Amino acid sequence: MIPLVLPRRTPLHRVPAGWKLASLVVLSVAGAVASSTALGAAIALVATVAVYVAGGIGIREWARQLWRVKWIIVLLAAMQAIFLGWEAAVTGTARIVAIVLLAAAVTLTTPVADMLDALERCLTPLRIARVDPARVAFTIALTIAIIPVISQLRAQIREAQRARGVRLGVRWIVTMLVGALRHADDVGDALTARGVA
Amino acid sequence: MIRASGVGVAIDGTRILDDVTVSVPQPRVAVIGANGSGKSTFARTLNGLIAPTEGALEVAGIDVVREPKSARGAVGFLFSNPDAQILMPTPAEDIALSLKAAGVPRALRAERAIEALRGYGLAEHAHQPAYSLSGGQKQLLALAAVLVRRPRVLVADEPTTLLDLGNARMIGDLLTGGVAEQVVLVTHDLELAARCDLCLRFDGGRLVQAGEPSEVIAAYRAEFA
Repeated sequence: MIPLVLPRRTPLHRVPAGWKLASLVVLSVAGAVASSTALGAAIALVATVAVYVAGGIGIREWARQLWRVKWIIVLLAAMQAIFLGWEAAVTGTARIVAIVLLAAAVTLTTPVADMLDALERCLTPLRIARVDPARVAFTIALTIAIIPVISQLRAQIREAQRARGVRLGVRWIVTMLVGALRHADDVGDALTARGVA
Repeated sequence: MIRASGVGVAIDGTRILDDVTVSVPQPRVAVIGANGSGKSTFARTLNGLIAPTEGALEVAGIDVVREPKSARGAVGFLFSNPDAQILMPTPAEDIALSLKAAGVPRALRAERAIEALRGYGLAEHAHQPAYSLSGGQKQLLALAAVLVRRPRVLVADEPTTLLDLGNARMIGDLLTGGVAEQVVLVTHDLELAARCDLCLRFDGGRLVQAGEPSEVIAAYRAEFA
């Protein structure tokens, strides 16, 4: 079982969430505007390996994260190869993959609560526009928690189709929406019952 | 202590709970009845999830009709499906959410969340995705999230329905073991109901019997004989 955050005490874990998120933004922008060279792309990927080692995450997890975005890599590389040529495709894709890997490293070394606290602090100026930062952060946390429930719902519909030997076609979306709305009702009750709403 | 006087609930003109009058001082109360009998609706009125449309209802000394927010602070509610009750990505964060709602300062929440999880044997799962827990562990987490706020009354709506025998017994033992001043168990598990001090039987939206669990359960069984 892969936890959302690896509970270890490494230098990367000790860096405050706000700094990690800010660094990620800076690196993403720098990666996007820097000129594409094969050497630069290789350095970016090697740097992600160094970050994974520093965070005690390991090469295996690095490879797992890479595998998870395999189709995005294929799609990006193919599109760029068609329009920009092979060299640009390799370097461009490598830069994007490096940013995705770094984002995953931040997720794996930072508790969601710390990230949401950092986000809440960032959004504080929005109070002027009557936006409640705590509510925004809580909504994001709730969304993260609900994603696996919706995914489970999709799996249940798929299993039910197989078990009954029927195919719903695109109508499975309606079935899932009904389930999702029912779940939203239950979550609403839970929010009230737990004194959150 | 629960005091209901002529409590009724009508939704869109349909009466789903009708004229419930009962006084319940017993610490462990079972609520039984067929599906659609009104027992879950009754349970939901106890912490203000559903507002009675008529009658007076007092739980733990709080007028639920007039002060539903206060009632929710004093009356914890456990749902049958923990997936609907667990609101945060990890167990530690979910417990911290309950502590936040209870007004515990931010600095103390993380430590107290781990302490609470330790009490239920869940500390080692504190930072794992809550969805990856087993059914029994999820229900334990949902229970821990309710009890960490130290409610005076706990209402559990079919808490063992989705659990296997071992987990059902474990949760049943916890719920009947004095986790709050008063525990109300809405259940189809008649063994669990038999372990309570009082049993209420609902039928057609009405409270039709209140008494010793053995007698009430026997009457309920006779209905289907």
